[in-house]
Amino acid sequence: MRLEKDKPLYVVIFTFVVSASFVLLLALANEATKDRVAANRLFAEHSAVLRVFGIPYKDAVEVEELYLARIATLPPEEKGAAPAYAATVDGTAYIAVVQAGPGLWGTITAIVSSDAAVARLRGLEILSQNETPGLGGRVDEAWFKAQFKGELVGTLGVTVNPAGPGDADHENARVDAITGASRTSQGIQAILDASLGRLRKIGGGRR
Amino acid sequence: MRFKHAKVIKDGLWLNNPIFVQVLGICSTLAVTNNLRNTLIMTLGVTFATAFSSWTLSLMKDLIPRKVRLIAQVLAISFYVIIIDIVLRAYQPEVSKQLGPYVGLIITNCILQGRAEAFAAANRPWPSFIDGLMNGLGYMAVLMCIAFVRELLGFGSLFGIDVLGPRFVPWTIMIMAPSAFFLVALAMWGAKAILAHGAAARR
Repeated sequence: MRLEKDKPLYVVIFTFVVSASFVLLLALANEATKDRVAANRLFAEHSAVLRVFGIPYKDAVEVEELYLARIATLPPEEKGAAPAYAATVDGTAYIAVVQAGPGLWGTITAIVSSDAAVARLRGLEILSQNETPGLGGRVDEAWFKAQFKGELVGTLGVTVNPAGPGDADHENARVDAITGASRTSQGIQAILDASLGRLRKIGGGRR
Repeated sequence: MRFKHAKVIKDGLWLNNPIFVQVLGICSTLAVTNNLRNTLIMTLGVTFATAFSSWTLSLMKDLIPRKVRLIAQVLAISFYVIIIDIVLRAYQPEVSKQLGPYVGLIITNCILQGRAEAFAAANRPWPSFIDGLMNGLGYMAVLMCIAFVRELLGFGSLFGIDVLGPRFVPWTIMIMAPSAFFLVALAMWGAKAILAHGAAARR
């Protein structure tokens, strides 16, 4: 029997059946992997919190143990504020905030930590970003994040500097931007400014 | 039959290469080729999605109404791309995080729909699979060559491993998209010259 493929009823039924079949298979694949994806997400978040406080870990099991034992979740400083954390490392108290801001292609979500007086940054970690791989996406590379470790917080905060020679000085409240990724670097600057404001509110440091 | 497949293989890899001859998939060529690792993963994704979507669409070709054939193609292509995304999120979360939106953007890669329309719509499933696979591999070969030059000169590294040492001054232009324009143009020029030379020699 020859199929009358151009009849409206056939077109509707065909489109429905094909769409439903693909969606069903995708739903099954999603269902089969959702626990693993959720575990990956949790590991990514918890390990980023540990790294931003400078707490070393070996594997996923240790991440969970250390997170439960050493990280305290702080009450939000205002209604609807993103999470904030506290931890004591080598006898010094540190605080951290999760802060989101616009990048070039989408939202960048980072965790920024400092000492309780917000005099010096402890670190910065990227939780999620959709920036251009190889350009803005480099915000998640170790060299970029290492710049923030121990950087002095000036009266104007910390500047993401787009020009000049590379800056290895941790006493000038300045870090390097990424060449060719101005909008992403501006996004990091905005995240940094907002984070420092929140850290000062939580830590009761300078305003 | 074997000869027919040999022609499909040769076409996809060289004589009808998606970058040199069909000039498809150029957007991703500009976007991801500043880094070998991302290029490899992205092109593996394109190869997988092109091969399997061509195979699936060829299996369905006698049932697809002409009016909705583009919808059917996009559905099959999206299905395989989302499968890649799910697998990466579950088993390679770091890679998934780095590639971000680029995996989803495979759906818009012209090569996939180009092969579905130009080959899978008129051929049997197995040759369509080989055609998709070879076009993906042809695309991968060109992009990996471009990424090799861009990462080496732009970062002084290959697959993230420093090879040119600390005294090397990176060529920032190589990291930025415009460098891919002239590298693709140079590669096309070279390939077309070789193709034209081969054609002249056969005459």
